[in-house]
Amino acid sequence: MSIQHYQSIFGNAATETRQFNTLFVIFLVVCAIMYLAVIAFLILGLVRRRRSDAANTVEEGRHHDSNPRMQAGLIGWAAVVGTGLVALAIASFVADRSMAVAAAHEKLSITVTANQWWWDVQYNAADNSKMVRTANEIHLPVGVPVHIYLKSNDVIHSFWVPSLAGKQDLIPGRENDITITPRKLGIYRGQCAEFCGAEHAKMALVVDVDSYSDFIKWWRHQLEEAAPPATPLAKAGYAFVTSRNCGACHAIAGTPASGTVGPDLTHLASRRTLAASMPMGEGNLYGWVADPQSIKPGTRMPTIGLEPDQLHAVVAYLETLK
Amino acid sequence: MSSPWRVSLVAIGLAALALAGCNREERHSRSKPIGETVPAGTSPDTIWPGGTVAQTADPRARLYDNNAPAIAAGQQLYTQMNCVGCHSHGGGGMGPALMDDQWRYGGRIDQIATTIAEGRPNGMPSWRSKLTEDQIWKLAAYVRSLSGQPSKDAVASRAESMSSTTPQTLTPREPAHTSDTAAQ
Amino acid sequence: MRRVVDAFLVTLLCTATAALTGCSRSEPRQQLGSATVYGTVPAGDHAVAAPAASPADDGNWVMPGKDYAATRFSALNQVTPANVSKLALSFTFSTATSHGYEAPPLVVNGTMYLITPFPNYLYALDLTKPGAPTKWVFKPKPLAASQGVACCDTVNRGAVYDAGKIFFNTLDGQTIAVDANSGQQVWRTQLGDIQKGETITMAPLVAGGKVLVGNSGGEMGVRGWIAALDEGSGKLAWRAFNTGPDKDVLIGPRFKPFYPMDQGKDLGVRTWPPEAWKIGGGTVWGWLSYDPETKLVYYGVGNPGPWNPDQRPGDNKWTTGVFARDIDTGQAAWFYQTTPHDLFDHDDINEIILADIPWNGQRRPVLFRPARAGFFYVQDRRTGQVLSAAPFGYVNGYKGVDLKTGMIIPNPEKATHAGRVVRDICPASPGMKDWNPSAFSPLTGLVYIPHNNLCMDYGAMQANYISGTPYVGADVKMYAGPGGNRGAFTAWDPIHQKKVWEIPEDLPVWSPALVTAGGVVFYGTMDGWFKAVDARTGKQLWRFKAGSGIIGQPISYRGPDGRQYVAVVAGVGGWAGAIVSAQMDPRDPTGALGFANAMKDLPQKSTAGGILYVFTLAR
Repeated sequence: MSIQHYQSIFGNAATETRQFNTLFVIFLVVCAIMYLAVIAFLILGLVRRRRSDAANTVEEGRHHDSNPRMQAGLIGWAAVVGTGLVALAIASFVADRSMAVAAAHEKLSITVTANQWWWDVQYNAADNSKMVRTANEIHLPVGVPVHIYLKSNDVIHSFWVPSLAGKQDLIPGRENDITITPRKLGIYRGQCAEFCGAEHAKMALVVDVDSYSDFIKWWRHQLEEAAPPATPLAKAGYAFVTSRNCGACHAIAGTPASGTVGPDLTHLASRRTLAASMPMGEGNLYGWVADPQSIKPGTRMPTIGLEPDQLHAVVAYLETLK
Repeated sequence: MSSPWRVSLVAIGLAALALAGCNREERHSRSKPIGETVPAGTSPDTIWPGGTVAQTADPRARLYDNNAPAIAAGQQLYTQMNCVGCHSHGGGGMGPALMDDQWRYGGRIDQIATTIAEGRPNGMPSWRSKLTEDQIWKLAAYVRSLSGQPSKDAVASRAESMSSTTPQTLTPREPAHTSDTAAQ
Repeated sequence: MRRVVDAFLVTLLCTATAALTGCSRSEPRQQLGSATVYGTVPAGDHAVAAPAASPADDGNWVMPGKDYAATRFSALNQVTPANVSKLALSFTFSTATSHGYEAPPLVVNGTMYLITPFPNYLYALDLTKPGAPTKWVFKPKPLAASQGVACCDTVNRGAVYDAGKIFFNTLDGQTIAVDANSGQQVWRTQLGDIQKGETITMAPLVAGGKVLVGNSGGEMGVRGWIAALDEGSGKLAWRAFNTGPDKDVLIGPRFKPFYPMDQGKDLGVRTWPPEAWKIGGGTVWGWLSYDPETKLVYYGVGNPGPWNPDQRPGDNKWTTGVFARDIDTGQAAWFYQTTPHDLFDHDDINEIILADIPWNGQRRPVLFRPARAGFFYVQDRRTGQVLSAAPFGYVNGYKGVDLKTGMIIPNPEKATHAGRVVRDICPASPGMKDWNPSAFSPLTGLVYIPHNNLCMDYGAMQANYISGTPYVGADVKMYAGPGGNRGAFTAWDPIHQKKVWEIPEDLPVWSPALVTAGGVVFYGTMDGWFKAVDARTGKQLWRFKAGSGIIGQPISYRGPDGRQYVAVVAGVGGWAGAIVSAQMDPRDPTGALGFANAMKDLPQKSTAGGILYVFTLAR
């Protein structure tokens, strides 16, 4: 499966988008009817000639006769408008309630912390030793309501996966939340929807909706430590990564590198994207490790200026982190 | 004065103002290749036997000292690299205070950069292999701002993250005490 | 008439102004430095020290706690409340160091031994000659870089004498045995690694042929442990970690924790996020006690790392609790977690006094622990069961201790979280009482507790782990607690769980206590006053202004001439005194993990130093 070609807020990939779409359709129908009726009345008013009735002039001081048909018509129109509004209110309320009900039955809980310009994803678990930490990618089991807690480490970002749910801001100093119940298998793309700095455009997110068993398989794999390097080149890369700059910001489970300010790299090579903006691949890895500032100028990862054999070694090691 | 003259004069004035702000706002995001070293020849408070030697300022000092993006980036690195754990927000603790006028190993930006890169004997770690040169200079620029050395328009009036101390624009200036008259 | 009205109005105005300026909110209820008596010394059967752990006093002082029960009680009775006002200086000695001096002098058969903070010099003074000249100095030369990974001043909490050797630890993680007569090194073992942020500041415990040592570095992301070295050779006999799988923590079939919250397999892994226990703290930088009858060593475990609790959800076993271990094998007998998922840096390393108390007509072997969390724990030392846990000061961070489940009851309003600042948490991070140990008198049955009265604001944020650097993630500001006094010295009745008398002090009382059979209690203040008070009433009987604030253990010994001497080393520092010993800038309130805000006036009240003062009754 590949990442969806286009993001659509009108899809029905999740319960929340389905509810939203239903609500949208109701609004569309009711408002369309109202709109057409208003246009009809307007046209009617333009086309119908005025009755020239001398008895209607004000100077005469006489009261204009009430037109019972007009009265009835206007009252009827007010009733139609009122009914329409009540219908919309009820529809909106029902949609809200059903989304909240889903939130109360959360089976899975994730905390997404937004940084400039990447997503720190942590799966919460009752047994703390089963927590999983990854970056820029969320895997979800189909049909299970997941409660996502949203936090930010620096500025305001916004979590938006159009095919699955609406937008929700991540505000520093505050914890927001959103519930998603995916209904269709697939790989959905999301992005940051609140301008958050120079690289806001390169802060994408991938949501992979799997079957329940595939999801559990993925979770168990994420809990594993990074495999020790086998080839000499990978070993040289391991030595560099754990003794030089990398470990100060990144964590790789099972190695001395335990930095928390950058994305967790333990299973980097099995992710679909790199640096929240590029597809994962050897070429992109080389480019990113060699000079992140030319790809995402201003990003927090510095351009270290590696020698060619250091670069080969580091990328060789990173590719083993599946 | 006639109208076109006035207009061009105003334009020249505005251009001058814009140019003045250039260095302050210039962003550096890459450093030179790794072979280049952080300055080693700068002496802290010291005596030159036989007469004071004129110290040439490191050219990189001009790029980072008084540079607003560098100071802001340095502030983020200061927390992330745990400088705050030893030096607090300038008050010191495990490490010496950075907001006062006492500098054991020199308070010029290149001296601070050397301290960060090389480490120092009584417990300052060496960051040469962990931070790029660019990051080290940015940290040095921020450390200078803890004692109020950069001009007020280069420091941030509001920190980029939740802050526990007064804004940097209110930091009083504490010029370093040193025997090196060129080292202010 | 108009003049009379004017005069009346002026008088009214003046009186009102006087009244308003007179009443200020910060005026303390009690008078600083003088005791308020709340009750009387209990009559009848009271607590006594555990007999096996507290042998008869031979006039020496061979370990910091005086005995394995940690009573800090001297059976010498020449100095009494009647004559203590005649106490006069006998001799002094400068240790040539100026960092916080926390260790007691040791006295063994006419020789006094002093261990200094970094660079950890060991002096031997000859008490048989006038002026106590130096016999020898041992200079271990610890690595200077270790000063950069010591969180709270480069202190040393004491040396120990046993079987002709002096044992002590150095800041860079070595344990050294020196011949007590010649000053020659017998053996030296490297236990800690400063590259990981480990240091050693604690005083070892020597018993059963073993030297027990624990590491420091809970603020540096180290993994805490306690190790036992063979007394003769210095070789490692066993090492027990305080986080991680059961086999590392030496938890085996003997382990029987009393409460369900501490029962389960591999809790040292399961109560942490993955990998977090490897850098989770749980150090052993405080006090160890030992019961020779059961061969159990008791010690408390330090805080989990980082200070930001959101990075380590879970109970975080086995931090902030108390272990009982078999001294020969290190196997754990029981554990009690005082504060699961610690939120405030309430290390549990305080002294553990072993005592026997009357309980339902019988003698019950217990331990007393005035803990950082603010509660005075009385626990059965065979099982760990909590018999009582009453607060000995103002506590709002917790609501109490549930004696059925043993669990502390947290106050959700004061829970610290990342991205949030929680204000007015009491007690502050140094706790109701920090490392400085209390003294227990078997004659009065009271525990004499030198402690703090501090509250704090705590703002947690994400911490980054880089080995050899701090792993904290919190900005803290401390200030005085209710009443405005930052410290107090309390005489506590452990059986009736109440204060008998209390002396409020302006500064935190960071010095340990000493109590004598003569009925006098000694302690020091951070501005340098060395005080003697009546053990029964707290009335101040004598005081002496030393050259620096006092945070060191006072001792009392019988000199070669048969007279009673009282000795203490004055040298302010430690966590509370870092603003002086580290020459910090007081304008940054978050300095020294928040203590700078509470101690801004200390530089005016004390300078750094390291001078020994020895007193005796004037002839």
